[in-house]
Amino acid sequence: MRVAAIVPAYNEGRNLPRLAEALLAHAPALDVCVVDDGSTDDTARVAASLGWTVLRLPVNLGIGGAVQAGYLWARDRGHDVAVQIDGDGQHDPAFLPRLLAPIQEGRADVVIGSRFLSEGGFRSTLVRRAGIRYLAWFLRLRCGARVTDPTSGFRAASRAAIEFFARRYPSDYPEPEAIALASRHGLRVAEVPVTMHERAHGSSSITWARTLYYLVKVSIALVLLPVREERAREAEGA
Amino acid sequence: MSGPSILPIELQVPSLLVLGLFLAWVLRLIRTHRLNVRESLVWLLTTLAAMAVTAFPSLLARLAHLVGIQVPANAIFGAGLLYLAVNVLAVTLAVSAISERSRRLAQECALLRAEVDALRARLPDPGDARREPRDPARP
Repeated sequence: MRVAAIVPAYNEGRNLPRLAEALLAHAPALDVCVVDDGSTDDTARVAASLGWTVLRLPVNLGIGGAVQAGYLWARDRGHDVAVQIDGDGQHDPAFLPRLLAPIQEGRADVVIGSRFLSEGGFRSTLVRRAGIRYLAWFLRLRCGARVTDPTSGFRAASRAAIEFFARRYPSDYPEPEAIALASRHGLRVAEVPVTMHERAHGSSSITWARTLYYLVKVSIALVLLPVREERAREAEGA
Repeated sequence: MSGPSILPIELQVPSLLVLGLFLAWVLRLIRTHRLNVRESLVWLLTTLAAMAVTAFPSLLARLAHLVGIQVPANAIFGAGLLYLAVNVLAVTLAVSAISERSRRLAQECALLRAEVDALRARLPDPGDARREPRDPARP
């Protein structure tokens, strides 16, 4: 089973060597693909010196476009499974076997690493946790997906999910919407407990105003979900 | 009430002139290939509609009466806002389509660059024979 690791990275040059160490310790057979989302630092050079494939986006596409580039790569290279790991040190590769297990056993197509199924670790601020609970509730209401941590970017995708995400992936703040799209498409979504760290270097890209935009944007996307899927299916049939 | 015209002639003629000039400008943009027909369609249709209403203000009065607007002048404002809204929406639609395409292009570009990197790494002595200039920022 060939496993690809998609690492979206924007100015994460300082954090990548640490990720490389952890990956070597826990999952050395991984095909790592760093998606450099138009960084202004040495992200691409560092990633290449670590022996990884680097997808250098000529412009900054945001996390959605970057992750989708990774899925396109995994699809073309014929990987059976792809895992998304952030380049900022939040996601611990020690949990990779746990994340991959449901797919390897054929029980799921998309596996989310959830902070809220286990004790301890970094769990974000109170306000943001409330937002996450709201999103989880909304997601369950709209498409029946039972996910406790819909904003988690630590996830694994089966071959079917790779092909789907390569075709269709939301653009900004894509995580909850991607779950909804996958689940509407008939892909099985599962969740496993993980613990996360606070980022090692640099600041998170999510501020207060953006949190609000995040909630509004994802809510609208979830409300409009059925129409969009029908239109998309028509477009594919045509 | 068939009293004074809602659009005095002193206003009607300059209005038609401005709209006509605008229409000519749009047509010129199309002819010089700076505006494609597809994007210009909304402008052409809405501008022609505005000209029709200006030329025959009774159309506007009847329309205003039909939707229950008391003062026909208010119908002008309403129609003007609608005109702008339709055109702005058309522009937003075009921008959405373009950003979707540029996203795909950027991804394709990144995939191709990675492919070139892999192929270049396989060359026997990369850049030695022809002294290929290499960008130091790129590994």
